[in-house]
Amino acid sequence: MTEGHRVWMKPPFGEGEPKEVEATPEILTPLMVAGWSQCDPPRQATQEVTTNVHD
Amino acid sequence: MSTTRLQELLVGFGFGKQTDIATANTAPTIWRLRKLNASMANPKLATENDAQEYGKGHEFATQTFKTSWDVAGSLEKYLGAEIGAWAMCFGLGKVVKSGTTPNFTYTCTPLIPSNGDATELPYFSFVEQIRPGAGVVLDRMAVGCAVEGWTITIGSGPGRANSKITVEFVGSGKYTDPSGITLPAQTVEKLLPSASLTLSINGVDYVTNKNIVSLDTSWKNNIRLDAGFFPGSGFQTPGDGTTGAVRGRLEFGNRVGTLKFVARFDNNSTEYTKLKAQTTGTAVITLTYDANNSLQITWQKMAFATVEITETDQFATVAVECTPIYDSTNGLITAVAKCNVDAICQ
Repeated sequence: MTEGHRVWMKPPFGEGEPKEVEATPEILTPLMVAGWSQCDPPRQATQEVTTNVHD
Repeated sequence: MSTTRLQELLVGFGFGKQTDIATANTAPTIWRLRKLNASMANPKLATENDAQEYGKGHEFATQTFKTSWDVAGSLEKYLGAEIGAWAMCFGLGKVVKSGTTPNFTYTCTPLIPSNGDATELPYFSFVEQIRPGAGVVLDRMAVGCAVEGWTITIGSGPGRANSKITVEFVGSGKYTDPSGITLPAQTVEKLLPSASLTLSINGVDYVTNKNIVSLDTSWKNNIRLDAGFFPGSGFQTPGDGTTGAVRGRLEFGNRVGTLKFVARFDNNSTEYTKLKAQTTGTAVITLTYDANNSLQITWQKMAFATVEITETDQFATVAVECTPIYDSTNGLITAVAKCNVDAICQ
């Protein structure tokens, strides 16, 4: 859920995209008061690896 | 005849939160801490009888009925980084955890339901044991407890008693006996002594001025206890209506925060001026053990409600009560608690 001192936050009522922010009280407090809550990082889109090599 | 000294009492409770009100903490999410007060979280059974019912031929009771269960308790402790973090997380309810070992940081604010937050606080289980095992005297666990409030008191003097926290909690009424929990070794606590205080209130640094005498600040959730018994809230033994009802929710009511302090009063004191002008500002209270263990409580906006000249050890002092005010951006209160313990309230 946490990577160092940055955290992922999701918007209130599940509307909108999560965002990663600095975990400082100055940044977190307004977000938390506005209804944002901590969440897991979004899954990275898996990159498709093509191994098709043409001579 | 053997006797039991109450100092044998072992206390453990969930540092992790329960998944729901009825599901107890498991042993890996429970820690063991000491406390100062002797009061215990005794389950209380409310009963009724049939004395008032007609058809018996007399006015006396012929049978009793288990109606409901209640549990409440309190923890009085010297203030440490761990209990401070726990009280802020479970007492305020909204938590963001950051950092890594040995510096976990818990940023806590009150839940705001109008912005999508829950109306219930995180739940924990509370274990009390005396000689658990073969010679057991007491071994029980209250399930589904929530923090009713906390009070931090800071005083003048050299001893540990000058920095204390009291946490009151209430329970769903559900309990298990025996607890089925083997308590871990006692958690080593890092004290946050009075001498470490830094304090800024309404633009004045009371520590640099060497003026602060004492301070207390508190939070109360006013949990709606009766509303916990709703149709379908459940029984002590699930499915057995004869075992007495338990609460199925513990919702906070009208929450109240307080801040009071006593400071020396001299010709530079500005408390009366700020009272008359209703000057608003922040109040920032910080107690520190080391870089990884501390507690900072910020009242985001407050004004002085009462200012009275008093006497402390023959010095003129001023006793101030503050009114916390909700700031549209930063809310009412933010607590930032740092400690070495991972997964508090997670």
